[in-house]
Amino acid sequence: MKVEISKGIEELKFALLSPDEIRRMSAVKVITPDTYDDDGYPIEKGLMDPSMGVIEPGLKCKTCGGKVDQCPGHFGHIELAMPVVHIGFIKEIYSILSSTCSNCGRIKLADDKLKGYFQKIKDTADRLSDIEYDDIVSEVESEASDVVICPHCHFENQKVALDKPTTFREEGKKLTPKEIRERFEKIPNEDLPLIGLDPKVARPEWMVLTVFPVPPVNVRPTITLETGERSEDDLTHKLVDVIRINQRLRENRDQGSPQLIIEDLWDLLQYHITTYFDNQTPGTPPARHRSGRSLKTLVQRLKGKEGRFRSNLSGKRVNFSARTVISPEPFLSINQVGVPEKAARELTVTETVTEHNFEKLKELIKNGPGKEEDVYKPGVNYVYRTDGSRIKISDKNAAEVAEKMEMGWQVERQMENGDIVLFNRQPSLHRMSMMAHEVRVLPYRTFRFNLAVCAPYNADFDGDEMNLHVLQSQEARAEAEILMKVQENFLSPRFGGPIMGAIHDHITALFMLTYKNPLIPLDAGLHIMSYIDVDKTPETVEVDGKKYFRGRDIFSMILPEGVNLEFKGKLGDKSLDPNGTEGTIKIENGKLINGAIDENAIGQSKGVLLDYVLRKYGNAEGAKFLDNLTRLAAGVISFTGFSTGIDDEDVPGEAKAQLREVGNEAVQKVEKLIENYKNGLIGMEPGKTLEDTLESMVMKALSQAREKSSEIASHYLGMDNSTVIMARSGARANMMNLAQMAGIIGQQSIRGQRQHRGYTNRTLPHFQKGDIGAYARGFVSSSYKEGLNPTEYFFHATGGREGLVDIAVRTSRSGYMQRRLINALEDLKVSDEGKVLDTEDSIIQLEYGEDGTDPSRSFEGESVDVDYLIKEMFGKKYGGKQ
Amino acid sequence: MTVLAWKDTLKKVKELIDKAPVGYCLDYDIPPDKAVKEALITITGKMFVAKAKISKIAPYQNEKNVIKKKKDKLKTLVMIEKIEEIQDDIVNYEEVNGGSVDKILSYVILSRKEEAKIIQREPMEEKLSNDVKAILHQVEKDGVDLPVKIAEQLAEAKKQYKIEGKDFDKLVKAAVEKYKETEVDPFEAVGIVGAQSIGEPGTQMTMRTFHFAGVAEMDVTLGLPRLIEIVDARKTPSTPSMTIYLSEKARGDEDKAVGLARSIESTTLLDIADIEVNTTESYVKILLDKQKMQERGLKREEILPRIKKIRMQKTTITEEENEIRLTLDEPSFKRIYQLYENLKTFQVKGLGGIKRAIVKFDQKAKEWVIYTQGSNLAGVLELKDVDFSRTRTNDIIEISQVLGVEAAREAIIEESTSTLHNAGLNTDIRHLMLVADMMTFSGVVEAIGRHGISGKKASVLARAAFEITSKHLLNAGLIGEVDRLNGVAENIIVGQPITLGTGAVKLAYRRED
Repeated sequence: MKVEISKGIEELKFALLSPDEIRRMSAVKVITPDTYDDDGYPIEKGLMDPSMGVIEPGLKCKTCGGKVDQCPGHFGHIELAMPVVHIGFIKEIYSILSSTCSNCGRIKLADDKLKGYFQKIKDTADRLSDIEYDDIVSEVESEASDVVICPHCHFENQKVALDKPTTFREEGKKLTPKEIRERFEKIPNEDLPLIGLDPKVARPEWMVLTVFPVPPVNVRPTITLETGERSEDDLTHKLVDVIRINQRLRENRDQGSPQLIIEDLWDLLQYHITTYFDNQTPGTPPARHRSGRSLKTLVQRLKGKEGRFRSNLSGKRVNFSARTVISPEPFLSINQVGVPEKAARELTVTETVTEHNFEKLKELIKNGPGKEEDVYKPGVNYVYRTDGSRIKISDKNAAEVAEKMEMGWQVERQMENGDIVLFNRQPSLHRMSMMAHEVRVLPYRTFRFNLAVCAPYNADFDGDEMNLHVLQSQEARAEAEILMKVQENFLSPRFGGPIMGAIHDHITALFMLTYKNPLIPLDAGLHIMSYIDVDKTPETVEVDGKKYFRGRDIFSMILPEGVNLEFKGKLGDKSLDPNGTEGTIKIENGKLINGAIDENAIGQSKGVLLDYVLRKYGNAEGAKFLDNLTRLAAGVISFTGFSTGIDDEDVPGEAKAQLREVGNEAVQKVEKLIENYKNGLIGMEPGKTLEDTLESMVMKALSQAREKSSEIASHYLGMDNSTVIMARSGARANMMNLAQMAGIIGQQSIRGQRQHRGYTNRTLPHFQKGDIGAYARGFVSSSYKEGLNPTEYFFHATGGREGLVDIAVRTSRSGYMQRRLINALEDLKVSDEGKVLDTEDSIIQLEYGEDGTDPSRSFEGESVDVDYLIKEMFGKKYGGKQ
Repeated sequence: MTVLAWKDTLKKVKELIDKAPVGYCLDYDIPPDKAVKEALITITGKMFVAKAKISKIAPYQNEKNVIKKKKDKLKTLVMIEKIEEIQDDIVNYEEVNGGSVDKILSYVILSRKEEAKIIQREPMEEKLSNDVKAILHQVEKDGVDLPVKIAEQLAEAKKQYKIEGKDFDKLVKAAVEKYKETEVDPFEAVGIVGAQSIGEPGTQMTMRTFHFAGVAEMDVTLGLPRLIEIVDARKTPSTPSMTIYLSEKARGDEDKAVGLARSIESTTLLDIADIEVNTTESYVKILLDKQKMQERGLKREEILPRIKKIRMQKTTITEEENEIRLTLDEPSFKRIYQLYENLKTFQVKGLGGIKRAIVKFDQKAKEWVIYTQGSNLAGVLELKDVDFSRTRTNDIIEISQVLGVEAAREAIIEESTSTLHNAGLNTDIRHLMLVADMMTFSGVVEAIGRHGISGKKASVLARAAFEITSKHLLNAGLIGEVDRLNGVAENIIVGQPITLGTGAVKLAYRRED
């Protein structure tokens, strides 16, 4: 049989299966509760009847004749001896039972009332949403279920009660599924819309099963273990139970066994069918496997994160993908990704042979699949001929196949430099978590990329792994290159600023290169500049007969021509430079005139210079600037070297004394406060209790101590200190971290309060009961360098633990929030008129964001930056402040 | 000319508009007055929402086919001939018999000298300066609808830098060009981008509850929990609070502010007194605590008449210095406990829901502001001395009930922006607007999630893929639901390209022959 390919699905309609339809679509009536016979062949009319499809390769389906990958599988059926209710429709069955007459089957409402409701449905038909319809149905139900005397046949109805999970009672008497079915058969089609059923697709009696569909075998395949032992699917197990009990029920019924036995068996059948549908029905003990594990039946297969919908339909496993550990490579462009040779040999791009690539593909086939120990040379793994047959290329047949190659063949060629791939790191929280890169095939086993791209992926190299997908069609490649390339994602749609930028050592290096415009010896300068692409070197200066470059001149080499910019750097007014000029960064005509390049210039999400280059010169130029910048930084730092160690936190003796003094002073101040508090000398602050007032005063005193220690530390530690350089330039850490290492760690808090929980009236047995002094409540006056005493260590650990718990809770909560947000907003799109519409074309916004501006094209949210325009258009003519 | 004005609920006003001409029964004792031909209805007590023409005012006599304001205790029948909504502010009324236009609690008779003068609210355009209008006019000729904000910036630049003539024209043109460049592409998946832009920084937020700026006693939920709360459209926020601004007259006066704060703090009897029950003699003893009463600014004389007013059971009240004794006329064990329970939660003073009110001086704006724990927007807006245009609450659902869904939309935007901003995160307001619009476009505030928007999607598959899979599938079969596969989730499920972005368009190739 030839497989038909559908061109597209317009819509899907849902309906109930009628008993007739179940029989019609059935390939076999299953009567034997067994699967395979002793020889391992499927039993005829058994649960593994070959008419229901094949699961073993090589065999052919008895119904359609297809092999494993061709046969879609066919349903079978079981004729139930007695009808049984469908557990998924219990609520509906209950509401229909209570709202219809048990005698005539009509809804227990007078004709004019019913007419009114029909009119209501008709009136709102054009804008009827399912919710409105549901409302009408539940209104009918609640009104009709209270009626006792049927207005149509004047029969006196009795109240029906639902005895969960599946038993219905009428005035204490059990209603059998058979009776229910008989009643439902009487309900006329005309009344069905008002009880929530569409007569075209569903009849109420179909909710009571008389025929039971048996799913195809490829829905519940047998697993053969290595030992040759066979293991059946959970559904098959359940079906065995159903057939077995069904058979016994039929035998007993036919033999005319006592009603009690029949009823027991009937209930058992009901139980098995209930658990076949949903094994987590409340009120029903879950059916279990022999090992005690509860069975995974139909509902369990679909439901939840590991269910069919979320795990297999909304997300699918794909081919042409790879995953490995990532590592940094400053010599790659931000647009590139380094792919290990081993992966490149496995990942292929399918190309069709045309006159344009004929020669190239021929050469590639000749290369064969290549060997791991050889130098990487892209080859071909497989070739598909026009008739669809596949040839595996090996060293032996490579030349031969290359000669035979024809137009129209499909060639699965290995990856080559310049291929466009998608690169991704989970969790994929925003669209920049998946960007397009150009491939560079590299030795070794890791994916590599430029450090500036860490930010959008939120990646580091402590063992992170990332995924790579090779695009397989021309359209996909074009789209990825135009929309998804790294350089196209410089500006984040979240805030309209650059999210990529220099990090850590880039900033340190360029800061050192430009801070106070150092003299760089000629050979060093040439070495540094060898990292970047330059055609001429800056002018040298002579000092004491030796030639030097100036640091800022070297930095200026990577600036595009015509950059004019003046802005405040991180050093700002607090500059350690006596004249205080290093904090003002001034660039004139592409030359850095003044200032130290720091985080504010080139850092991620706040680099003013970077932002400027991007907006003025475009993404390609921006990418080039960032490429050069990272290379230059690598050049500088590899030449000068840069490290920090424990001696960075060494402070002179006098500073140590001062720090100790600050610590003691704070503790004494707290003592004083507590004494005042005990003597009732503290006034209440508005809206606080006395205790709160004391707490806030104590907290204030202690945080002042830490600030003071920070001041002392920064006073004694200068720009010759690596840690200070990092903190000041914004590369990493801040002065408070340094102060904690060298001076005082400070108060450890839990939920913003001082530590107060633990033993009766004290935090730890090391303190007196009732002690609420600084140390007893988690103040740490030691530094990380000195080390903490045992109580301090404990408090420090509690604070740390709170942080960890916080992170654990936060990630799951924010993940769920994001899932809900995405689910609620995923269908919104801008129409060609600029409106925001949902799937039903309801207007959510008349103009997106009230001005139709794309945030990722905006200037930090503003659609037009007027000041920038004036500056760019008229220069200094209108004195636009720089 | 005299006009009748009364206070009513929005529901009743809508019903009247629907059914007029009709008779309307009020629970106010209004003396029949032939001169009264017009009526105004207010909901908040401050602004009028409807104007009615009335033909008759008569005492209520159990009429039929009329609309009743309440079920019982009706006193007056007003025949309403015509009624219409009014959008504009109506002034030029004078008070008669002590009624005040500022604050209508029940009904007042107002008089006015001539026809009511209607002050039209200034249209937005009128407020713009001439420069701005000129710029807007100029670009309109080229068919561009430039946002007012940009025009204002241009006008500002013109003034500041003295840019004139051709240079300015050039600047405007460049601004228009830039504006066009930033336009969103058709079929852009703005929803997904918006959701990502809000969700992604969520991972960087803290879980802690922060202390309110300056007022340490009051905790305000911030950070991720607050953001989740906003998105969830919770019935009540975990820490409801209000910021009450005062009218021009009162904002400089500390005493007034403190007085107001005290008067709105809801005080129950238990806050100021101990209550004892004696079951054998069937009485309840209320022991007033002088100190506590002083703290709350209450006097014994104020409390007594209030307690007397509670006629829950037939009781005899005896008073001593600091003791009030309520004795049941017919001893009953059950009823004495009922009385006790009722007394415990009896509100002596203040507005329900406001647990605490604190007065602070805003250094920047140089005014006294009241911060409260607990929220009662409707109550606070009715108070004299309150600047109701600036006063706000963080309870979004309450805003939607009191001020309407558009106000709730603004509140969602504002609350979420400030939550993100407080966490030091920068998110474009457009994303938050989109979320707010999505939550409110149906006319009521709906939650993001299974009980709100996601549960009401048109597509069965999309709903099944989100949560409660089996319920949606089973129900779809009953009513024969059709999935038209317009959305993203459902197309992914059936394995088709999605309908957003480049998937929204199809390309056809026409061969040149």
